Amino acid sequence: MTAYIDIILVGLILSNFILLGSSRLGNCIRIAAWQGIMVGLLPMATAEAGFSFRIAALGSAVIVLKGFVFPKLLSRALRESDTSREVQPFIGYTASLIAGVLALSASFWLDGRLNLPIHSASAIVVPVSLSLMFTGLFLVVARRMAITQVIGYLVLENGIYALGLAIVRDLPFLVELGVLMDVFVAVFVMGIAIYRINREFDHIDSHRLAKLKG
Amino acid sequence: MSNETLILSVLITLPAVFSIISLFLPTPRSVLLLCASGTVLVALAMGTLALAVLGGSPVFGSNGWLRVDALSAFHLTVLGIVYALGALQTPGYFRDEIEDGSLNLSSARRYGALWFGSLGAMLIVLLSNNMGLMWVGIEATTLLTAFLICVHATPGSLEAMWKYLLMCSVGVALAFTGTLLAAASTGPSAVHGTESLLWTSLMANAASLDVMLIKAGFIFMVIGYGTKAGLAPMHSWLPDAHSQAPAPVSAVFSGFLLNAALYCIFRCLPIVETATGNTGWGRGILVAAGLLSILTAASFIAVQRDIKRMLAYSSLEHIGIIALGAGLGGVAAFAAMFHMLSHSIGKSTAFMCAGRLMKAYKTNDMRKITGTLASSPLWGAGFLASLLALIGTAPFAIFFTEFMILRTAVNAGDYLIATAFLAGLSVVFIGVMRYAIPIAWKPSESAPVFPAASPLEYLLVIVPLSVLLALGVWMPPFLTRTLASAAGLLGGTM
Amino acid sequence: MSAEGLLLLLSGFLLSPLLQGVINRTKAVFAGRKGSPLLQQYRDMAKLLRKGAVFSTTTTGIFRIAPSAVLVLVAAAYTLLAPSTVESGWGFPGDLILFVYCLGLARFLTVTAALDTGSSFEGMGASREVLYSALAEPALIIGLAVLARVSGEMSFSGVFHGLGDSEWLSAGTALAIVVVSFLIVMLAENSRIPFDDPNTHLELTMVHEVMVLDCSGPDFALITYGASLKLWLFASLMVNLAISPLGLSGYAQVAGFLGGMLFAGILVGTIESVTARLSLLKTPGLLTGAGALAVLAFILAARYLQ
Repeated sequence: MTAYIDIILVGLILSNFILLGSSRLGNCIRIAAWQGIMVGLLPMATAEAGFSFRIAALGSAVIVLKGFVFPKLLSRALRESDTSREVQPFIGYTASLIAGVLALSASFWLDGRLNLPIHSASAIVVPVSLSLMFTGLFLVVARRMAITQVIGYLVLENGIYALGLAIVRDLPFLVELGVLMDVFVAVFVMGIAIYRINREFDHIDSHRLAKLKG
Repeated sequence: MSNETLILSVLITLPAVFSIISLFLPTPRSVLLLCASGTVLVALAMGTLALAVLGGSPVFGSNGWLRVDALSAFHLTVLGIVYALGALQTPGYFRDEIEDGSLNLSSARRYGALWFGSLGAMLIVLLSNNMGLMWVGIEATTLLTAFLICVHATPGSLEAMWKYLLMCSVGVALAFTGTLLAAASTGPSAVHGTESLLWTSLMANAASLDVMLIKAGFIFMVIGYGTKAGLAPMHSWLPDAHSQAPAPVSAVFSGFLLNAALYCIFRCLPIVETATGNTGWGRGILVAAGLLSILTAASFIAVQRDIKRMLAYSSLEHIGIIALGAGLGGVAAFAAMFHMLSHSIGKSTAFMCAGRLMKAYKTNDMRKITGTLASSPLWGAGFLASLLALIGTAPFAIFFTEFMILRTAVNAGDYLIATAFLAGLSVVFIGVMRYAIPIAWKPSESAPVFPAASPLEYLLVIVPLSVLLALGVWMPPFLTRTLASAAGLLGGTM
Repeated sequence: MSAEGLLLLLSGFLLSPLLQGVINRTKAVFAGRKGSPLLQQYRDMAKLLRKGAVFSTTTTGIFRIAPSAVLVLVAAAYTLLAPSTVESGWGFPGDLILFVYCLGLARFLTVTAALDTGSSFEGMGASREVLYSALAEPALIIGLAVLARVSGEMSFSGVFHGLGDSEWLSAGTALAIVVVSFLIVMLAENSRIPFDDPNTHLELTMVHEVMVLDCSGPDFALITYGASLKLWLFASLMVNLAISPLGLSGYAQVAGFLGGMLFAGILVGTIESVTARLSLLKTPGLLTGAGALAVLAFILAARYLQ
């Protein structure tokens, strides 16, 4: 239990809770940045075969991208759309926290049922990544501000990345780089989209983008 | 370097080169002309490669990361046809917008760059043997096509773009989970290391994969790639995106983007089938998704008012039919492949005609677009004919594919599936005809102005429709062989 | 009962008002004031005991007996907890639950007495108090459940004697999270910032102080003493858990405990000085957060000890 990886994983769960309960957009972006840094540290703590250049390179790429570049992109989108800095959720904060706890219990239960073969030092990597995925999906669905939806997507990606680290023995370096690049371009594109939506509509409330029906 | 690898490298680099060139061209018109000519060039290269593979054996490249077999070659041909049709109509479609200045230089450059970029991304999807690389390609297509939707930043197009971007990114992320699970399922088998993502190694070792993991992976992939393909219930982005985008982009969306996502599911199907001992578990999921899509499309198509939205729901229906056919297997899989080809051709023509009608009547409300046969024989007749083709009127090709799928279902004793299928088809038929007849014949109050159609545009309408008509009556043996080898991968027979 | 156990028990009864003094002195240091003397609370209680009591005519017997009953219940709960770290046979299996129920009954009596006065201020305070406790109790119970799960025992003495080095090694993260959860529960149950400002004089912003507006004289002294004993109680729960990895026994445990309590007082004073009070709409969120932390700790403990 004293493996560093467990501390990182518990930190990831705590960041989930804070994201679900946080009401200020700036805070959400900061917490997402911390989550990105923690996820970037995971491969270095998971490495079965020991430290290698590839793992270090990948880990640092993830930390730089998710910990610094994405928050910068998102803060810029937030700053240029001068709308309210409150999250404005569909589902209230307390209910979101409770949903997060339920998702956590569901992830642990699922892990007990699925019994995935894992290649990592910790017993709780799979439940934590599943709970990250649930939280990400929840944030995409239950939040109105476009930026929080993007943060939800990032959390989902974090969860999938952690799951991949746990269950796949040897993901080709090029594929991992490709995935990382895709996520980067996705956030970049979403940032531009938010900017254009705000320029047209004067808000970034995706709930009000409801003209097309039927 | 052998011929095939030469063509492979050309195929991969050409779209990227054209994309960069379009960022530097001086006028919007030149960008669109580059779109047309560049796409035709790439399509010719694709055709050459496809011929080589279909005549011979699969082609490998890049250490086994790239592979073209019968299924990918067939899809390459369809991609080439769809993109070529779309690109050729682009200069004519945007002509009036360039003249009145609503398409300025920077938008045109962006359009050209994104057009070729999306073409390149779809090529990566079709050419890759590595499931991870295939995933990277699909995600890239989402990102690159997003801004093609909102060439003109109207509220509707921005809303459609945001919905499309978010839904498809989340869906494709789930598909990545499926890919990871598939790679993890190679645990008990002889595959090691980086080969766990290669389709060929997965296929070869399919019998020894971890059953539960590959099943879980397949479910995630159906949900994930199904979102991108527009399978119900993950289809809600589809009508918005297809209706708000300009006509050439909608043609490409309906004609190939959806097919590419289905292609990814089809790649996984034989692996799951072998791994689960051919019990039909994977097929059942596809059949269910297909039927659900057909019925959803049927319920919505009856209440449409927007002309392109109706065409979008028709795409949903056809994707459902393809999934249903692939799921049923046998002759139905062969029909599904044929359906992919005929639907793409028909839908491109339909979107092209609809786009011109919308521009002339200055509305997209179907109740106001009437009397098209009288005001413009070319576009009116083209639209009517493509609609008839799409809803499965004999003797167009789609009628025969739907019939083959129906026959397979009845022969297998799945009367429930056959009934639901037939019901969905009938509702769509009636719903579409309800609009097609007034659009063609009802005397119109407004006097629309149509620009003179160039000979190229005449060709672009007449040739695809005649091909659809001809294919319904007679299938050339070359095509039969191609479709059979493509469907063979899905467990299909003639 | 051994001498150490007796010491622990008496320290609560005798030193709890001193803890209040420590907290107030810490806040004064932060604010640059000289602050009130450390023994001020004793003087206040002595003053109150000398006064006469005034009872409203709308109150009934409940209002008369509530202050004493609350004190007795809190003292009972404290007796269950205090000597358990040094006495290995103290209490009985299940006294964890009795602990929670004593506190619950005390709260019930306080709330009923507040409603008994028929004043709207006290009614408002009562409803707030009940809301906070309803949200904080799951955190407390689940936290105690984690302790029981990790140590395998259902009594306080069993828990604290069972939490040794090996348990902290295997489930340390879970236990650390429980400590944080208990801290939040302590702040909530005892009306400290960020849930309630003990120095406020505006009735509309009060939670606990407003419930006892109508108490006077000796009753108010009992209530003040009961409140400080309750604070000592929650703090000692947290401190006992926090110093259990040190594995002390006998007089060393007593010394460690007292040192820990001093540190807890300074910690509460610091939190009160650097944090602002949360708006009433946000406090349920923080309490749910404490509950979520407790659930997380339980899941982790269950997983690690499989």
